[in-house]
Amino acid sequence: METNLVLEGFKFMGLGMATVLLFLVVMILCMNIMSYIVHKFFPEPQPNLDPAVSTQKDNKKIIAAITAAISHHRQG
Amino acid sequence: MKFFLIKLLALMLFSFSALHASAPATTEALSAHQEETYKTKPFSEMVGGFLKSTGINALMNPDPNEKNSFGEDMSDFHKSWGRVLMILLTFFLFWLAIRKGFEPLLLLPIAFGGLLANIPVAGIAGEHGFLGVIYGMGLSNEMFPIIIFMGVGAMTDFGPLLSNPKTALLGGAAQFGIFGTLVGAVALSQLGFVDFTLQQASAISIIGGADGPTSIFIATKLAPELLGAIAVASYSYMAMVPIIQPPIMKALTTDAERRIKMTTLRHVSRLEKLVFPVMVLTLAILVLPESTPLIGAFMFGNFLKESGVVERLNDTLQNSLINTVTIFLGLGVGSKLAADQFLVPDTMFIMALGIIAFSVGTAAGVLMAKLMNMFPGHKVNPLIGSAGVSAVPMAARVSNKVGMEYDSTNMLLMHAMGPNVAGVIGSAVAAGVLISLFQ
Repeated sequence: METNLVLEGFKFMGLGMATVLLFLVVMILCMNIMSYIVHKFFPEPQPNLDPAVSTQKDNKKIIAAITAAISHHRQG
Repeated sequence: MKFFLIKLLALMLFSFSALHASAPATTEALSAHQEETYKTKPFSEMVGGFLKSTGINALMNPDPNEKNSFGEDMSDFHKSWGRVLMILLTFFLFWLAIRKGFEPLLLLPIAFGGLLANIPVAGIAGEHGFLGVIYGMGLSNEMFPIIIFMGVGAMTDFGPLLSNPKTALLGGAAQFGIFGTLVGAVALSQLGFVDFTLQQASAISIIGGADGPTSIFIATKLAPELLGAIAVASYSYMAMVPIIQPPIMKALTTDAERRIKMTTLRHVSRLEKLVFPVMVLTLAILVLPESTPLIGAFMFGNFLKESGVVERLNDTLQNSLINTVTIFLGLGVGSKLAADQFLVPDTMFIMALGIIAFSVGTAAGVLMAKLMNMFPGHKVNPLIGSAGVSAVPMAARVSNKVGMEYDSTNMLLMHAMGPNVAGVIGSAVAAGVLISLFQ
């Protein structure tokens, strides 16, 4: 009875770690398969166009902000 | 003038009460009731009686009939100096939270709850006190940790994990802290230092998962009598991540390893992020239904966020709901800081085992990263291994900070978020395993 307790602990450890790692390994496999399917069959619509537009907009915003800051600095 | 007013007031009060006393009672029941509850006493006796009801008296001369919140007898120490000691301890926790910034969001409510729970006479943590009511409302039935998990899910971005899936292994390895400590705890019982049952040992070892809500969930299920110590250990070690982890990380890695640069993360599409929570939940359903309360709540929050169509619900989960529940959770946990439950030898062992669990988890994550580097493929910086313990996002920030100490251009934060969120899943699975073993 007494010696059983530590042995039980090791049993828990074996089962627990195996389950956790197995779960995550299966999860990793599923993630890879899922990503593959998503990229192959459901690609994001026009990924090239959007960032270009947004960077242009961002650039304009940044330029506007810098101009505003400079004029504020000159005034002050 | 002032005196005159006071005298007048006193006279009015006196005449009123005299009138009241001399007026014949309307019903007999009422007069009987009054006789029962109130008897005229000389003033000196009143003062004496009042002094007996003060906190000072309660602390100096413990009431022999006082019971704790379980209705059991308490020792005199736990009624007197134990309480004083615990109140001083809560002051120390205030200091840690406010001055040192240790998880103040949780530590402050917990500490204040602890302060309230140690007040004599008032019985705030008792069954009918408001802390007792809060405890019964959401802690003894594991409700609050689950709601917190929903909020955490809504705050979590699985993008870094999806773009580098293999880092999930680091989050799995860090769970070794849990099971290693489980063995340690039963070994301690074996050697006769303490008397932990397997359930208690499991509840303690989950501290190694570095996940507050999971610890509370397991503790209330397997060992409610240890909840206070486990929750306090768990949250205080989470708060001390920046102190505990770096020495271990540095000891286990070489200078060259700490400078490893990781490839940039690829873009993750919205659909991937949307499918992921459902996918993980499906896996949990198939493999380990016992873990689905935690994983289900977590993925529910994340799914709402990634769906992008319920911004209001997402916002509530991330802010108002999680904040409200955090207040209640903190106070409820604090109610378990009552002297009779916290000032026992077990607490010391729980604190010690907790820090071992945490350190072992950190080390296992780092070693796993080193192991992964032995295989071909993109190299992993071992510093992100420590983020496998789930303390989100603190552990990832620590990885980033330590990495920057050696190479200021090496941004590890996003890379470390992968193992970090995998750690949350990993500790929820570990919790599910432990629960399923006791079914």
